[in-house]
Amino acid sequence: MAALGRQVCDWHRLTALSWACLSRRTPHLRERRRMSPSLFCKLTTVCSGESLQESSCVRPKKYVLDPEYSTQLVPCLHGEQRTRVEPKSSELEKVISSLQDMGFDEAHVNSLLSMQPTVHPQQLLDIISEFLLLGLHPEPVFMAMKKSPQLLKLSTVQMKKRSSYLRKLGLGEGKLKSLLHGCPEVFTMRQRDIESVVKVLKEKCLFTVQQITELLHRCPAVFQEDPSKLEYKFQYAYFRMGIKQRDIVRSDFLQYSVTKIKQRHMYLERLGRYQTPDKKGQTQIPNPLLKDILRVSEDEFLARTACSSAEEFEVFKKLLEREEEESESHVSEEEEEDEEEEEL
Amino acid sequence: MAAPVVRGVRKLLKLVDFTPVPRRHRYKKKWATTEPEFPASRLALQNFDMTYSVQFGDLWPSIRVSLLSEQKYSALVNNFDAWDNVSAKLEHLGAKDFVKEAISPQELEPESDLSPPPSLNYSPNLRCFTFPRGDISRFPPARLGSLGLMDYYLMDAASLLPVLALGLQPGDTVLDLCAAPGGKTLALLQTGCCRNLAANDLSTSRTGRLQKVLHSYVPQDIREGNQVRVTSWDGRRWGELEGDTYDRVLVDVPCTTDRHSLHEEENNIFQRSRKKERQMLPMLQVQLLAAGLLATKPGGHVVYSTCSLSHLQNEYVVQGAIELLANQYSVKVQVEDLSHFRKLFMDTFSFFPSCQVGELVIPNLMANFGPMYFCKMHRLP
Ligand SMILES: C[S@@+](CC[C@H](N)C(=O)[O-])C[C@H]1O[C@@H](n2cnc3c(N)ncnc32)[C@H](O)[C@@H]1O
Repeated sequence: MAALGRQVCDWHRLTALSWACLSRRTPHLRERRRMSPSLFCKLTTVCSGESLQESSCVRPKKYVLDPEYSTQLVPCLHGEQRTRVEPKSSELEKVISSLQDMGFDEAHVNSLLSMQPTVHPQQLLDIISEFLLLGLHPEPVFMAMKKSPQLLKLSTVQMKKRSSYLRKLGLGEGKLKSLLHGCPEVFTMRQRDIESVVKVLKEKCLFTVQQITELLHRCPAVFQEDPSKLEYKFQYAYFRMGIKQRDIVRSDFLQYSVTKIKQRHMYLERLGRYQTPDKKGQTQIPNPLLKDILRVSEDEFLARTACSSAEEFEVFKKLLEREEEESESHVSEEEEEDEEEEEL
Repeated sequence: MAAPVVRGVRKLLKLVDFTPVPRRHRYKKKWATTEPEFPASRLALQNFDMTYSVQFGDLWPSIRVSLLSEQKYSALVNNFDAWDNVSAKLEHLGAKDFVKEAISPQELEPESDLSPPPSLNYSPNLRCFTFPRGDISRFPPARLGSLGLMDYYLMDAASLLPVLALGLQPGDTVLDLCAAPGGKTLALLQTGCCRNLAANDLSTSRTGRLQKVLHSYVPQDIREGNQVRVTSWDGRRWGELEGDTYDRVLVDVPCTTDRHSLHEEENNIFQRSRKKERQMLPMLQVQLLAAGLLATKPGGHVVYSTCSLSHLQNEYVVQGAIELLANQYSVKVQVEDLSHFRKLFMDTFSFFPSCQVGELVIPNLMANFGPMYFCKMHRLP
């Protein structure tokens, strides 16, 4: 059974591959909008026809038995009779069957088709194929589309560019799955935004290339951070908490919000349970492990790490929020004053 | 690379201030040519970590986090202004008169024929509003009332406890030995019990502040009649100056002002240059308390208070002064039990449960008042 499963999987991938190869070889496929419906139908027929034959055995019964579907299918398979057929529905049918061939079940297919009504089904198929071609399985691809339907609006060119860029960052092959899961937006974001995040990590935070790969793999949400906030978070870890780059990566530090980090760290610090290490990296008390500060639930944090009560922590959080607001307005006032002075 | 990092760090240090400093107290960095390598507030914290972790054990972390976070204020209603309007306004803000809350249930038990223990002789007429436990609301600044006086005085609610504990009675002659800047002096006057009040402070600049407070809160006839007298002498000499004179004496001594010392550099007693002075504090405190006791009429009462957590400045000083008076002046002084008093105010304050003499309010985030130590003494007739 397991072996069969694997086979099926491989087969899905193969179909996807062949489909993608084909569409690549026929770039005008993507320009279908400008094509006459008949030509388009012909072109797509070749491909989906192939896979249809191979896969008829796994197709859900509904499609085989439903007379409506079959009548639509027939003329398309026999191109000559196309004039009598609504080209759109037949085209849709092919997309449906291709998706099924790739391994999406009926529910998934329906759901995919309704996610972005403005996107042409063929484009949808192209982009999904592209994802499968990256070595991803239908299930995670489906989940990603569901989470972030704008992925379906991508062009294959954009998509290829992005995946090759990600590969350069070391985020190819096996790592794409978690990336797509953790931050599907990484495919739809502007290149310039991604680059500025990577630049901050490299130039401001001085992470090594490998650290950046690992970091982005572990916490893909970092891609979506505002670069200056990301830098601030890094500096907070590095200077305020005395955590080195390596441990920032390993603790998934950058995945937590600055608010949560500050609340927990400052609470511990004021309780006297956390100290910023000195230049030699030493403290007078042993600091709690990062995982016991950030990765644990609030209850656990209070019970085991802070040894404090929830009601006190609640008050502390309120006080801290106000302190932060006030110190920020203080900073901006001071900057204004500085500017004024410079003008004199 | 270097420049942006440095700039970043500067920004960070600004944003991530080590401790919150009230704006008005922040000194401007640009005036300081060389920054202290190890600021006095840090030295204070080190000192507290060493001594208080031993003194308070498991309680210390929660006291520590409270001291390092914003303190809570209370609004002492100015009875010389339209106090009922002011009270209504404060109630409207969601604050409650904690004195009334603590004391009225007692008065509602007329059937109990036990006369209240002496420690329940609290000073009357004080109205002081606080927000409930865990509520971090702040009071708006005091305003000029209809009679040309300020409507309330913002202070640490715990500062009222020594005045309440002193148990003023109508017609008392009262001495406030270390009075400036005058929060407790004002509270003493609010009781309406002072036939006359001597308010003294060694520092003339600080008595200036005291005068200003009186000016804004107390009507002219009371200030300028012989009811209030402000002086600037060394309190240690009061025994010689005016021995056996007062019914009630408040000795609110200079101390390490623990909360203040963690937040402000200016005038910080933990500056290295003030080490001697700091070490001499308990001695000065004993002398001031002894002088206060000697200025008390036999049969009169004294409250000693500090805003420090240090046993050395609190219980030891009380015990030291009592011993000194017994040995050198043959004056007998008895410490009064304030545990009933403590129970009355337990909803508003956190008290340290095991003081040998006196009571100590320890800061707690739910009720971030104090520290405030106070001990009531009776000079035996
Ligand atoms: C804790 S403060 C008093 C606060 C005041 N009771 C209040 O509630 O606003 C201590 C005061 O003692 C004063 N002081 C210091 N040495 C003194 C001395 N030898 N005699 C009298 N006052 C002294 C200081 O100037 C300071 O104002």
